[in-house]
Amino acid sequence: MTIDLAQFHDTFFEESFELLDSMEAALLKLDIGAPDSELINTIFRVAHSIKGGSATFGFSEIASFTHSLETLLDELRTGRMQVTLAMSDILLKSVDVMRAMLRAVQAKQPIDQQRVSDLQFDLELMIVQKNAAEAVTAAEAAAPAVLPASAAPCASLPSATVAQAQAAPLADAPAAHWKISFRPYRELFARGNDPLRMMRELADLGQLIVNADVDALPSLAKLEPQECHLAWTLELHGSVAEEAIRQVFEWTEGDCELQIIRVESPAAWSDEATADAILSTLAAEATSPQAPAAAAPAELPAVEPSAQVSPAAVAKYEAPPKAEATVATLGDSGSIRVSVEKIDELMNTVGELVITQAMLSQLGTMIEGSTAEKLRAGLGQLERNMRELQESVMRVRMLPISFVFSRFPRMVRDLAQRLGKHIELKLTGEQTELDKTVLEKIGDPLVHLVRNSIDHGIESPEVRAAAGKPAFGTVHLDACHRGGNIAVEVSDDGAGLDKDRILAKARARGLVGPTDLLTDEQVHDLIFLPGFSTAEKTTDVSGRGVGMDVVRRNVKELGGKIELRTERGKGSRFIITLPLTLAIVDGQSVAVGSETYIVPLISIVESMQLRSSNVSRLSGRGEVFSFRGDYLPIIRLHELYGVEPRTRNLHEGLVVVAEGDGRRVGLFVDDLLGQQQVVIKSLEANYGHVEGVSGATILGDGSVALILDVPGIIRAASLRAAA
Amino acid sequence: VESVALKDGLLALLESPAPVTLEINAVQRIDTAGMQLLTAFVRERESQGRQVRWRGSAPALSAAAALLGLAAVLRLPDQAP
Repeated sequence: MTIDLAQFHDTFFEESFELLDSMEAALLKLDIGAPDSELINTIFRVAHSIKGGSATFGFSEIASFTHSLETLLDELRTGRMQVTLAMSDILLKSVDVMRAMLRAVQAKQPIDQQRVSDLQFDLELMIVQKNAAEAVTAAEAAAPAVLPASAAPCASLPSATVAQAQAAPLADAPAAHWKISFRPYRELFARGNDPLRMMRELADLGQLIVNADVDALPSLAKLEPQECHLAWTLELHGSVAEEAIRQVFEWTEGDCELQIIRVESPAAWSDEATADAILSTLAAEATSPQAPAAAAPAELPAVEPSAQVSPAAVAKYEAPPKAEATVATLGDSGSIRVSVEKIDELMNTVGELVITQAMLSQLGTMIEGSTAEKLRAGLGQLERNMRELQESVMRVRMLPISFVFSRFPRMVRDLAQRLGKHIELKLTGEQTELDKTVLEKIGDPLVHLVRNSIDHGIESPEVRAAAGKPAFGTVHLDACHRGGNIAVEVSDDGAGLDKDRILAKARARGLVGPTDLLTDEQVHDLIFLPGFSTAEKTTDVSGRGVGMDVVRRNVKELGGKIELRTERGKGSRFIITLPLTLAIVDGQSVAVGSETYIVPLISIVESMQLRSSNVSRLSGRGEVFSFRGDYLPIIRLHELYGVEPRTRNLHEGLVVVAEGDGRRVGLFVDDLLGQQQVVIKSLEANYGHVEGVSGATILGDGSVALILDVPGIIRAASLRAAA
Repeated sequence: VESVALKDGLLALLESPAPVTLEINAVQRIDTAGMQLLTAFVRERESQGRQVRWRGSAPALSAAAALLGLAAVLRLPDQAP
């Protein structure tokens, strides 16, 4: 039977990319000199899983590269090599290369062989020159460090450790032993596994010390004989290869938690302390003549063959770690993978349901009679359940913003290194959830803001020292819920914006008249103009003046806004406010004639009744009204959409002051109806783009209401005014 | 199946106020499930201050107890290795 492996490729790629992300995150958390063994294990598992997968699917280049990487990581894991700055650099580069290779394979493009083989060479060189690498470590420690805590631990590395690491040969040293934690799941026996048999095999490999954990054992009455409630911690002494141990546990894959750790023990194996626990002799005894002749053979036949009929060595080596990984993921999140289309379909159906429910509710109010009351109670219940269902489905689409934040530690590290700045990145509110679509689109603007903060905001260490600031500049990314919105903040404790310089630049470019006085807010607005930059020289990081305008446009496209607060010498804060989702909008419904329109609440400043004394007519500019010392143009919605209004007298209707594209206008409507959340239906998908309309929704009575695109209306109005 | 029978047998003895003596000469082989039952039995008896004694010798049982790290819990009689 042949299985088409290609069908699994997508899953493999998807998983591998996720694994690489976690590997990168773990690498960045890794302390130089004093690494956390759990982190190293995580990193190792990633390399191992990708190696296994790519070998299975025949991506030999990736398998070969990850093999070298794995070898190096194994040296780290067993403590034979130390984590140095150079090491963490090369490991991060490996992540990049693996990502590039996977992308290339995924896109069926050729792999950049040169880059791969260069790095692979470096990796292997590192292993070969392990002893030399120790010397490099010392040198590294002396060199100026860019990251916190990188230098000290290296320098203070006890010489004994170094000596020991140097002394340890590449092969398993006799002085080392293995610690095995074996925690079977209950089903272990039922799957035909008998720990006794496995212990015997281990005892054949070397000196075995067994510690049983009987704490989980229930009382006899409650004990299901075929469930395993025991767990073991084992120590195996002697020159044993890890593969040999894994082979013993081969058939328990998925039925247990298994950890195999190599322990360096410089002290010689002490006989007396553990004499009574040494079991290799005991194991032999089981088959000794003293035992009934029939006992051993009778017990073993079912077992022995499996040990001999063993699959290829590679497969054996792969299996147990995979089990470990599966267990870890199950334990961590217990999640399933669902395609976005399925969720969108679900969303859509729920949207339709909401509309149907609204229609029913409206009908319910018209019905009279003895059962009407019951019907209305039922409808009320339906409405509550609908709302819950809608929220649940929305939550499915929500992802924590850590998906975006996670790319920053690496970026900040690299940038800081390149610019010679000392930067500490603070991330808070990573668990704040927002819609996947919003999440995907907010990444680039955030990257831009963070780059700006590092390049322009944070000063060089010398300048900071002169200003009496700590050498490490802080860039802080924060996310939190604020009302129905998400606020994402990028702040730094750098130089802040230089108002005078911005103004001077704007005057020089004729953006601002030489005598115009601007408020702080207006000055801040200048940096969002296309092509505006005060950077004296363009770096490859930023300064070309492309950016802030794009950032603002992206944020606006998401229905959000961006604010800037800055204080010279103290730092700046960019605050992005975003809607939770793009599928639902908080709207104010307004009446114009017989039509209902929805104005997104985020665009509304306030609503007011006009007095005729406030209104003036400018020749060629249409009508304006005074609003807090400003004159705002009036846009009559009935003219814009060609409907017959209830009134044409400005003082008989209402004006909704709306803001968009940095400008304000008054929208003249007949009446305000109420605020509600509406499900956005795309017009583009069903009809076509209409200027000034961002979408449509279906109201409770089944009629369609258009959702106003306020920035679009303002743009169109100013074009008309200019013409 | 065997372990279910063993469990029932042990359950019947669990509440016995008199010291229980288990005759193990006949034990030819035992698996981990059986060892687990014995362990649970002995542990529970001891927690109630009741004794379990062993009579006879069963190398298979001793070896299994040693290999599974249960010798101390079971207090099997010392045997010449």
